[in-house]
Amino acid sequence: MGLKWYTARRVAWAGVAAFVILTVTFVLLDYAPDPELARIQFRAAATGADAETAAEAYAERRGLTGPLWERYLEYLGNLATGDWGWSDTRSQPVLTAILTALPYSLMYTVPAVALSTVLGIAIGLYSAFNQYTTTDYAATFVAFFGVSIPNFWFGIVLLLLFAVQLGWVPVLFDAELARTRPLSLANARQLVLPVFVLGTSAIASTMRYARAEALEYVRAAFVKAARAKGASEWRILTRHVLRPTLVPLSTILVGDLLGIILSASYLVEVVFGIPGLGRLSLEAIRRQDTALVLGTTLVPVLVAVLGNLLQDLAYALLDPRIDYGDR
Amino acid sequence: MLPGDRSGDAGPSALASRSRRSFLHLLGLSGATAVAGCSSSQGDGTSDETHYVDGTSTGTQTLNFLSVNDTPSANRIQLVLDGAYAITPEQEIFPLWADISTDEGRVYTVELRDGLEWGADYGSMTAEDWVYMITEVFQADSNWANYPTPGEWQRAGEPIPVEKTGRRTFEVRLPEPDPAFPLRPVLWGAFCMPKGLIEQYRPAEDQEGLAQDEAVQTLAYAGNLGPYTFERWERGSSFVATRNEEYYLREVDDVPDEWQNAPYFDSYTYRVVPEESTRLSALRSGELTATDLPASRVEQFEGLDDVAVKVFPQAYMTSLIYNQRANGSFYEALRKPAVRRALAHAVDKRQIVEDVRRGYATVAHTFQPTFSKWYADEAVRELGVGETYSHERARELLRDNLDGTPYRYEGDRVVDDADEPVTLDLVFAQGSQPIQTIAELVAQEYDAVGIDVELTGKQYGSIVEQHLYNSWQGDGDPPWDAGPYNGGPRDQSVSSRPWDLILGITFNTYPRTPTSIRGFSVRRGGTNFYGYHPETDFASLFETASSTVDEAERRAALAEVFGALSVEQPFNFLHMGVEIVGYDSAIRGPEETFGYSWDRNTWRLDGA
Repeated sequence: MGLKWYTARRVAWAGVAAFVILTVTFVLLDYAPDPELARIQFRAAATGADAETAAEAYAERRGLTGPLWERYLEYLGNLATGDWGWSDTRSQPVLTAILTALPYSLMYTVPAVALSTVLGIAIGLYSAFNQYTTTDYAATFVAFFGVSIPNFWFGIVLLLLFAVQLGWVPVLFDAELARTRPLSLANARQLVLPVFVLGTSAIASTMRYARAEALEYVRAAFVKAARAKGASEWRILTRHVLRPTLVPLSTILVGDLLGIILSASYLVEVVFGIPGLGRLSLEAIRRQDTALVLGTTLVPVLVAVLGNLLQDLAYALLDPRIDYGDR
Repeated sequence: MLPGDRSGDAGPSALASRSRRSFLHLLGLSGATAVAGCSSSQGDGTSDETHYVDGTSTGTQTLNFLSVNDTPSANRIQLVLDGAYAITPEQEIFPLWADISTDEGRVYTVELRDGLEWGADYGSMTAEDWVYMITEVFQADSNWANYPTPGEWQRAGEPIPVEKTGRRTFEVRLPEPDPAFPLRPVLWGAFCMPKGLIEQYRPAEDQEGLAQDEAVQTLAYAGNLGPYTFERWERGSSFVATRNEEYYLREVDDVPDEWQNAPYFDSYTYRVVPEESTRLSALRSGELTATDLPASRVEQFEGLDDVAVKVFPQAYMTSLIYNQRANGSFYEALRKPAVRRALAHAVDKRQIVEDVRRGYATVAHTFQPTFSKWYADEAVRELGVGETYSHERARELLRDNLDGTPYRYEGDRVVDDADEPVTLDLVFAQGSQPIQTIAELVAQEYDAVGIDVELTGKQYGSIVEQHLYNSWQGDGDPPWDAGPYNGGPRDQSVSSRPWDLILGITFNTYPRTPTSIRGFSVRRGGTNFYGYHPETDFASLFETASSTVDEAERRAALAEVFGALSVEQPFNFLHMGVEIVGYDSAIRGPEETFGYSWDRNTWRLDGA
């Protein structure tokens, strides 16, 4: 009952957090200067037409007429019935826009997260077991390189080298190919660089955390005891070091990793021209497409809230000493 | 297309078969791509299909032209809907769907071609479709379709009478003669929608319903009206149109041969690639047929055999705009033409063109580019070049003309009536390195004549909202109001934040219809946000130029306008821009002239 109550409270708080974020976003968007409106008015005025009439037509078209609160309440009402609104800058329902963009993002973020998690933890553990060796220094170098190098610049350089000079991969991302044949080799080729760029930034932090956490346990008494009892190095690594290491690591997997993925995806998608969620959100903000901005804001909010919830639940699974019974 | 091949579906980017260089470059790719199944193979790894792939930074917002107000959307729609007629670089009408004629410049007769067929079972295009669209959409009282520029179909607030005179003819009856009417973007390039489609939504004024109609979303009503047929639109990624085998121009005798066989590509694709360096990489790798080049990268691409760099004149002018409204810190001086002329002597336009714009721009001296047929060389006064660029001369003229203002020279600095050095606030549009460099250069030049300049970079939207919009601050109602950019007399109508100079807002100079600059040049002009009061009677000159059908009289009036503007210097005309495009070197067709894209349907690959 304790875990259920805890989960229910967390989900309720997630609703409150989403509401606050949506409200702030809605108000900010309404007060932000709209360059498109300015252009339309200027063009109308320059051609001798009535700038106000042009502005009214624009506002009508974009659903910007009426008081702010009225528009917001209408939006929330629609949202409650599953209607996320209509994107004026894409001429399609917001939900369709998100569901269209989401697979493109998942195509490179899922492999990047999986690879960075597995490799990051593996390399981190290896470094911890081989502290201050040449391979540890090499892994540390890779980690710092991944953290330090700007994704944007790295992506461009990789494109120039592997696409333009060597011709191993295409420069342009083919969305039609990705949509119609997601599991094809051609699609894999065009996803290699985005996965690599995103993976290098994510792998670095995972690896450093894994190394630091594992070091706490490598020389722990219970590990020495296990070794004295004749446990193999593999068993020590997987049963006695990895498991306690995973408890604090799970916090960064959801928190830091999510931050890296979400923020990096903006840059990665712009550089590689992937029409995923990052670009969808960026374009929506640039063009002040309110319904789409709110829709694309909801997605990371939900992912973050759910991710954190799963992370808390994972604590209990990974460490039996943690219990939510009295919370 | 080869049996079993869906290279079109796979997207031209996978193997855009365009030129020999693309083939050669992609040889390494073709093997792997063929394995993936997206190559149209003839056994030798090549394809006989030709695809044009245009790389752009932004995608389209809608395919509903009734609410289109952006160039990317219009460009895509133009692939499947030709529009009424085109205009050649020589400013002649080139009939597409229709021809337009007039006797005295007031009543225009539009005659549609025979054989224009809508798709989606809407029958033939007739004058009824046009008249219905114009009167029930463009001129509708409620503007129910939210048409962005309903004012185009009005004169003095009243709808322009439009009447059907035959099955395929209708008349546009202007209240006053306007010989330039065909050159205005009213009927020029105008699209049309079937009456049967619009009238489903007109009674209920259902704009949303129309915008979301399947036929509108997919341009299914286009029929044989354009060189291409809509294939697919991947939002934020690509727009693909394939060759229209039913294109009406094939059956037309009065167009040159190259139009009858157009288009010469099996597909035309707009690829959205937001990052400039990625677009340029794709041009180098042969994945794009064409894309815009920044001036800073031209040298690099000119050295490539596979890319042809072309430079097209543009009508957009960059100016240094002076605030002559009462919230400027130097407005008393800037209201004097002699002071503005003096300041024009202080800025070296050639350096801006040669060093900042790397030679990819031309010096401007008046509100018209030199390539315009209306540019009057003999009447225009050149300032800021050659001998007229001189800090000494600028100082001399400033010293002589600051009399009657609160400003004067104290030593080598200009001071105000409190003996404080004058510091001007130059607001520039952020996001463009050349604009920022020009702003810094202007600050140096002004410093050399004794005026300090502080630079403030802002986003375009903020500049408009904080500095261009101005509104009446006096008591009661303003004596007149010309809109958000000119809210009334300059002493009482000011912007929300003060400014002295603005850089980075470009103006269209309208070389085809030069009287369109009226709003910038007369006291009550809708775009006179800077509070300029001309000494010349521009209003009557524009009146003459826009209404006379006598070309000599028109030329004389416009020469006087452009001459007077160069003398009065409402703002410092700095330079005219150019558009630089990198093409696959095998592309034949684009001419380096203004309005070059009018015949893009006839462009082709070398040897095609």
